[in-house]
Amino acid sequence: MKQLLLSLFLLSPALIWAQGSQVNTQSQKAVGMAGAGSALFIDESSIVYNPGALVKMDHNAVQIGGSAIMYRSAFREAGSADVHHTKFQISPPFGAYAVFGPKGSWWKAGIGVYTPFGGAVDWGRDWPGRYSLTHLSMRAIYIQPTLSFKITDEFSVGGGFVYNIGLVDLGRALPVFHPDGTAGQATLKGTGTGMGYNIGVHYNLADQFSLSLNYRSQVTTTLEGGDASFDVPSALASSFPNGKFDAELPLPASFNIGLAFPISERVDLALDGSFIGYSIYKELAFDYHTNTPVLEDTRSIKKYENAFSGKAGINYEVNDKLDLRVGAGYVYTPVPAKYVYPETPDNNRMMAAGGLTYRFSPNWSMSAAYVFQKILKRTTTNAETQLRGSYETNIHAPGLSVSYAW
Amino acid sequence: MKKNFKLYTAILSIGVLTGCAPDMDGDFQAEKGTADFSTYIAVGNSLTAGYADGGLYLEGQQVAFPNLIAEQLASVGGGEFTSPFFSSEQENGSGYLQLIALDQGNPVTEPVTDKLALRGQNDQGGPLYTKHLEPIQNLGVPGMRLDLAMVPGVGSTLGNPFFERLLPDEVASATRYIDFAAGHDHTFFSFWLGNNDVLGYATNGAVSRPDDPTTRLISVPEFEGAYRTFIEALTVKSQKGVVATIPDVTAVPFFNTVTTALLNAAVEEASGGQANTVYIATKTGAREASTDDLFILTFPSDLLAQPNQQGIPYGLHPANPIEDHYVLDSDEVKEVAARVKQLNAKIMEIAEENDLAVADVYAFLNKVKTGYVYNGIAISSAYITGNAFSLDGIHLTPIGNAIVANLFIDAINKQYKADVPKIDITSYRGIKYPNN
Repeated sequence: MKQLLLSLFLLSPALIWAQGSQVNTQSQKAVGMAGAGSALFIDESSIVYNPGALVKMDHNAVQIGGSAIMYRSAFREAGSADVHHTKFQISPPFGAYAVFGPKGSWWKAGIGVYTPFGGAVDWGRDWPGRYSLTHLSMRAIYIQPTLSFKITDEFSVGGGFVYNIGLVDLGRALPVFHPDGTAGQATLKGTGTGMGYNIGVHYNLADQFSLSLNYRSQVTTTLEGGDASFDVPSALASSFPNGKFDAELPLPASFNIGLAFPISERVDLALDGSFIGYSIYKELAFDYHTNTPVLEDTRSIKKYENAFSGKAGINYEVNDKLDLRVGAGYVYTPVPAKYVYPETPDNNRMMAAGGLTYRFSPNWSMSAAYVFQKILKRTTTNAETQLRGSYETNIHAPGLSVSYAW
Repeated sequence: MKKNFKLYTAILSIGVLTGCAPDMDGDFQAEKGTADFSTYIAVGNSLTAGYADGGLYLEGQQVAFPNLIAEQLASVGGGEFTSPFFSSEQENGSGYLQLIALDQGNPVTEPVTDKLALRGQNDQGGPLYTKHLEPIQNLGVPGMRLDLAMVPGVGSTLGNPFFERLLPDEVASATRYIDFAAGHDHTFFSFWLGNNDVLGYATNGAVSRPDDPTTRLISVPEFEGAYRTFIEALTVKSQKGVVATIPDVTAVPFFNTVTTALLNAAVEEASGGQANTVYIATKTGAREASTDDLFILTFPSDLLAQPNQQGIPYGLHPANPIEDHYVLDSDEVKEVAARVKQLNAKIMEIAEENDLAVADVYAFLNKVKTGYVYNGIAISSAYITGNAFSLDGIHLTPIGNAIVANLFIDAINKQYKADVPKIDITSYRGIKYPNN
């Protein structure tokens, strides 16, 4: 007689490669300048920062590097005395590059495999936002074959084709309860692919200044046949069937400008700005293969705005073997207050960094860097879950890379 | 080079020193404002006692909203807060309902019958529970009414067994609830009585039985007199406290789950399309049921269509209508709704005169009736799936208790300029679903 309509409200997961997960560590030289230097540094990592600059390298090289990103977030619900922290985790983005071409030639070719987006947050199952997120681990791996051409001695162009492999692993609690009182859990895992491109133009006037213009296209990762698994009491299993899901995860485009010029015989100044097109996140669609009245396909509104970041760095050539550098930057968040989710508790952020490059020999060199980013405290009420509280995040990212040139 | 190295190290140190993890620990300052929370007592009925799923049992008692409030008061000078908990051997207390299966979406409930706290029966076969005579601060008694709080006899073995178990035998019959409550030394109190003075009438389909004083509908003058007297007794030393308004009884799943539409559809299916309307008995005669008539959750639907001595099927014909006590018909709904509003106006008036905080549970449960999202949980007055109400359709789930506790804390913070820390409601559960 009493038909129990399980009209459970199931939120769409926020599968977004958002600002929070963009900690650019593709080049440890750039990391040491808080991200500045796309016009200044001409090396293997220009595959990422400006394919146009690649051809100006005076040698060929291979490079491998990585960072250990430690993303520490905290949350305090409005009116509560309890502060919740994410578990300590290290995300290891990496970058591997190879550049080759005849010496002094008008062309160079290269290939890069790197991770421009990625991160892991684990809030655990005991915090107020558990029904929004318990853990998220995301990674985008770009494979980019690249060509670069010298038009004149000063002016060069280049471009690469980007093939992306995206990995997602997300979990959240479900407000249905087992006989022992514990909440249910949903876990979504999947791999997707996407394509895009990366083009750049580099201009330098002798040793007076350099200008870099770089555009990285939007890459939409199409995730098909991901696994959705639900841990719910057996009486509800038919409403939460384990199955497959599809989703689209757009990674935003960015337009990057860099300027560099010497301010003394050994010191160079680099200034960079980036415009990231997050406004593509108007709506995120999520499709479960098997629908039930509880598991319905969702379209959730994200309404991100475009983001801008500015950074400046100074590189000091101590001697033939050693360069030292420092940098600072400020990033404006694309996330409007009411769309802040625990996956990406974003706000404007400040960055400070330092690094060095040491040349062991004419062939071998290494770069090391450390960047500290602070996502400023932000108090919000999320539009979907009505979770109200303050988030604050510290990011530490030491990194190391090694190059062999010939 | 040395200079730069120092600069580099300095910048790095600043980065590391500003903390590996963000430090938000100093952001909240607990504050007691003008209130004194050192001895808090909770006075009230089943909601105060932690009654849920049709019974009083240990798990429910532990998450009663006053117990949750007391935990939060610890950081602002709150002291001990004990309750008349059942022992772990008798943890199922008076027994309660469990959800044992979902039969094609229909909930099947069954009472728990083991580990009960029964010590015997009274002369009329009613239960008597294991006594708890140690000092307590949670003074909630399931079934307590404002009118019955003012008279002796309710604590006798023939009265309310939940009150009887708290009283030593020699004084049980003579003790009035008002004296029991006010006799407890306190600096702060919560007071939530009055619900049963309307609910007892409403859950019996607005039929007041002369032999059962719990089914009376209290009058406004009697309510006001009793409420004032009780509050006077609790504020005799100018103690501060928090009171709550009475919910609109129709906002609970007990009245909203078995609907006229559902009954009509069931009748249509059972009769093969021959009949599709049910008839109810009202105080002005029998008539067809409408969407404004509310059937109680415990309406035994297998009574439907049973032929009486004249062969007329029960509930399907005006000559054999569904009896008055199973239905809150539209006129009765209006009567009860109006009475609740009148009583709440008196509560607000008396609270203001005595500088007491008011938790407006009436307004809150109306918001729950419409449904809203709280930290990703959909809260509504839907039976079972709404997460707020327990299996008896009237009392609260642990999540419901946590939300009500926060409502009381908000009222306290506002009235006494305090900053009592609030509760993370997501730490508590809704209804437990079975594994079969």
